[in-house]
Amino acid sequence: MTDLALEGVSYRYRQGATLALDGIDLHIRAGERVAVVGQNGSGKTTLVRHLNGLLRPTLGRVLHDGRDVARRTVAQLARTVGLAFQDPDRQIFAGSVRREVEFGPRNLGISGGELHRVVDEALAEVGFAGEASTNPYDLGASRRKLLALASVQSMGTPVLILDEPTTGQDMRGVEIVKLLIDRAHAAGRTVIAISHDMEFVAASFDRVVVLRLGRVILDGSPASAFDEGSWEALRSTYLEPPLPAIIGSRLGLGATPTDDELLAAL
Amino acid sequence: MTTALAVLAGGLLGPALLTAVAVVVPAVIGRIFGRLLRTALLLTLPIAVSVLVVNLFFFPAGRDVLFQLGPVTATAEGLEFALETLARIGAISGAITLFYLTTPPSELVLDLERRGVSPRIAFVALASVQTVPALVERAATITAAQRARGLDTEGSLWRRLRGVLPLAGPVLLGSITEVEARTLALEARGFTRPGRRTLLWWPPDSARQRLARWVLVLAVPLLLVARALGWLGWLN
Amino acid sequence: MLTLESVTYRYAGAPRPSLHDVSLELHSGEVLGLIGASEAGKTTLCLVASGLAPRTMGGTLTGRVLVDGEDTAPLAMHELAGRIGIAFASPATQLSGVAATVYEEVAFGPMNLGVPRSELIARTEEALTALRIESLADRDPALLSGGQQQLVAIAGLLALRPAHLVLDEPTAQLDPAGTAMVAAALAGLAAGGASILVAEQKTDLLLGICSRVLVIDSGRAVLDGPAAEILTGPQLADLGVAPPAAIRLRRAAVNASLPAATLARLDEAIAHAMPQ
Repeated sequence: MTDLALEGVSYRYRQGATLALDGIDLHIRAGERVAVVGQNGSGKTTLVRHLNGLLRPTLGRVLHDGRDVARRTVAQLARTVGLAFQDPDRQIFAGSVRREVEFGPRNLGISGGELHRVVDEALAEVGFAGEASTNPYDLGASRRKLLALASVQSMGTPVLILDEPTTGQDMRGVEIVKLLIDRAHAAGRTVIAISHDMEFVAASFDRVVVLRLGRVILDGSPASAFDEGSWEALRSTYLEPPLPAIIGSRLGLGATPTDDELLAAL
Repeated sequence: MTTALAVLAGGLLGPALLTAVAVVVPAVIGRIFGRLLRTALLLTLPIAVSVLVVNLFFFPAGRDVLFQLGPVTATAEGLEFALETLARIGAISGAITLFYLTTPPSELVLDLERRGVSPRIAFVALASVQTVPALVERAATITAAQRARGLDTEGSLWRRLRGVLPLAGPVLLGSITEVEARTLALEARGFTRPGRRTLLWWPPDSARQRLARWVLVLAVPLLLVARALGWLGWLN
Repeated sequence: MLTLESVTYRYAGAPRPSLHDVSLELHSGEVLGLIGASEAGKTTLCLVASGLAPRTMGGTLTGRVLVDGEDTAPLAMHELAGRIGIAFASPATQLSGVAATVYEEVAFGPMNLGVPRSELIARTEEALTALRIESLADRDPALLSGGQQQLVAIAGLLALRPAHLVLDEPTAQLDPAGTAMVAAALAGLAAGGASILVAEQKTDLLLGICSRVLVIDSGRAVLDGPAAEILTGPQLADLGVAPPAAIRLRRAAVNASLPAATLARLDEAIAHAMPQ
């Protein structure tokens, strides 16, 4: 299991451009579930791409278990950190669902019966058990997205990063994503997700990191991030707290970011 | 047009004069000489260097030895031929760069359309120019996505070759889906209607611009004739 | 009025139809929300209602699509373009890609239709004003945020002056800021009397702007009624659609057998938390 840390990380895409990340200090302990939220352009994707070396800090350091990863290749870091991109169509290439999900684990050197097992497990998790030989392009957009998640989940890395996993998903799709996160968490893996869906964030994560203009403006449990004292900061990056949090606050019940917490407080 | 003239004029002085008149002067007036120089150099430096080296040392008809460098000999004839070629390359790349820097693609298309080119052809011309950066961006994202799944793009040649399919697949398929989406959107906005479109505006075309174009157009046959009759010897 | 009469549609090469015997009426000045699980047929219905299917998509259609009582079957796509407009989920791919400024982008549709230049300018400016994006007029569309691009796309439709608008998940790919922009624009258009068919996963958004809601399931229209009734109804979750947060919360409270006084407090707080 792996502790991740960003120390004073700043990043600039081009010389002369504004800082996409501006002095980020963030420590993510092994096994945490962290949601990264904020408006488009606030630096969410830039931040997570530093964790597997796709981007290298302009200033500052990225550490895995206390060791600087500057000299390690992305392929090496992929053993520790699996990252599923937002747009599945920029990832899917294989002629069948099984081959697509095999790609990541194969790159990590998994083969034979073990490969078959991890792929079957990942497919079952997203409800694709009967679709192993289907061509990914015969699936609808929302199911291609689940396939892309499964194809990173199957790598079994200690850290799993999902970029907007619930976008375009209906109610059932969101449930599948939540279960996938629960299982990874139960297995002791770290889960980091970028999301715009505050109800999903409140339900499935222990920690919320709010970014604005490349800086962390809030960092805490859903209860504290969605507490009335944080609303002004949230709204400064166009985020609305989830409805139960608003109602709990109005009824003077304290921090109740989810339905269950609100009902328990009532 | 400058390009054609430069090739026709031949010699060293011809293209150099042309470049000065038709490229450098307008660029200086337009205050883009710095950018022009940088872009043109970037475009032609590799070719220019190889042209110079190859001709200087290996020009077949070279006799007049300039200097010796190890096993190879630099000749005056080689140098002369290299400089002539460079002058033409300079004129060609200067003209193309000037055109590229001063003509926004959308204006070119509007102007073509005003001159009666079908909007569909004009659109394809423009869209293909403007798709290039999008394609480059898409390829970069796809490469990043596959590296994040452990694809080693930094290893041996064999590894790199193996990595082509996971990159080429999404680039191609993605482009196709995007074209489909774009087609729907364009059709929904009446793009396939036959007949002329209303143009919102078109680029101004001043009397002086028209005059300059005609001078250049007329210069082509004149130079052709002049060269054929051997009147241009003084340019060398 | 936009009318679908027993429409069944099958994509080219598909083994089965994606829409079965769907009928609907979109009246002038009405906002009709279209909901359903992924792949239930929302996008297909939008393509059929806009005329793109089968004209551009191919495939086979039975039944009739009528605009203001006129059968659309003999009309070409460019003849429908000024009567029904359609916007898609992806902000970038529905822009023309050839306009250097937002102004030219918005003008693109009526330019194609060949309307006189003075009217072209009037329509473009009116559409920019309707979506309150006059300040973006000189910007490069490619450099805008997703939400801004979506507003430009909708303005581009309005400039065609269609009597009916079809929007296929216009906020699906947007962040909360972009979603808020588009929601406000839709509410404004609805208040202005436009007739709109809008497919959405976000039922909270529909609750605020729709008068009626149609639910489709496996290509069939299964529920059609007043928005408040359908969105608060018990069947929604069974059809794979997440109910609005307030409805979900209220139902959970009832299921938890909270005392009546507590429920009343909850209702009052929910009413207060909702927009408007």
